[in-house]
Amino acid sequence: MSSRRSRSRQSGGSSEITDAQITDLISKLQQLIPELRASRSNKVSATKVLQETCNYIKNLHREVDDLSDRLSQLLATTDSNSAQAAIIRSLLM
Amino acid sequence: MDSTHSNTFQESNHKKRRKIGDLTTDQNSLNLMPWRSESDQNTYSKKLIEALRRINSPETTTTTKPRVAGQVRETADRVLASTAKGRTRWSRAILGKWKKLRRHHRKVKKAKAGSGLNRAGIEKERLRRLPAVQKKTRVLGRLVPGCRKVPLPNLLEEATDYISALEMQVRAMTALADLLAGGTSAGIAGQVLS
Repeated sequence: MSSRRSRSRQSGGSSEITDAQITDLISKLQQLIPELRASRSNKVSATKVLQETCNYIKNLHREVDDLSDRLSQLLATTDSNSAQAAIIRSLLM
Repeated sequence: MDSTHSNTFQESNHKKRRKIGDLTTDQNSLNLMPWRSESDQNTYSKKLIEALRRINSPETTTTTKPRVAGQVRETADRVLASTAKGRTRWSRAILGKWKKLRRHHRKVKKAKAGSGLNRAGIEKERLRRLPAVQKKTRVLGRLVPGCRKVPLPNLLEEATDYISALEMQVRAMTALADLLAGGTSAGIAGQVLS
């Protein structure tokens, strides 16, 4: 993993973690978050990126929970319908 | 911050390339990113289905719905972590909850994280010393599995990977739920072809 961090921006020794590296990682994170992707990076503070990251992860967790709920209900009814199960199996194998 | 300006310069160059006709290039580069490719999602979907079928044994018909939903969630997370092939700390942490042998690895990793913090503490890190940043960092560390005491740069890398993985998980589970709810083969065929 350290090889990924040895970029041209490193000023000192290899064990240093520079501010620029952190900013670089934060801007990468910013690109992933839909809410912040539209804004230009010089207007979004690191704190905001971190805040939105936390919110986004919480949202994703909630979505997965809802989907788990939905899937658990669907799985209970699907097994009784063997035609659907066969179709799923054939599509995914 | 000067470093931010150099970032913007690179970003704006990248953005200039993103004209209307260049959408396909973006799609291709997105597919190369981890967790974004179709094959990753297919791998995950297959493993998920197999694992979920194992849950649906005769005993589960008597267990309560929230319990089964919880089992589905745990299974989904576990399969997600195993699809990560142990490249990331968060995936190892999730798998560690299931395979007790992995706890040895976790202890070793925590020691390394501690020494990383000591080295970074010597540097003048204006950004990461801000109390607001530290507070958010702590919250983020709690949200990403296994990253409570991880130093900031590692945490940011883990979070980046974790978010992509979660997005894929949502896509795969949504597709699966639509598939199961679809009912007719025409509906299912439509899902697969889209």
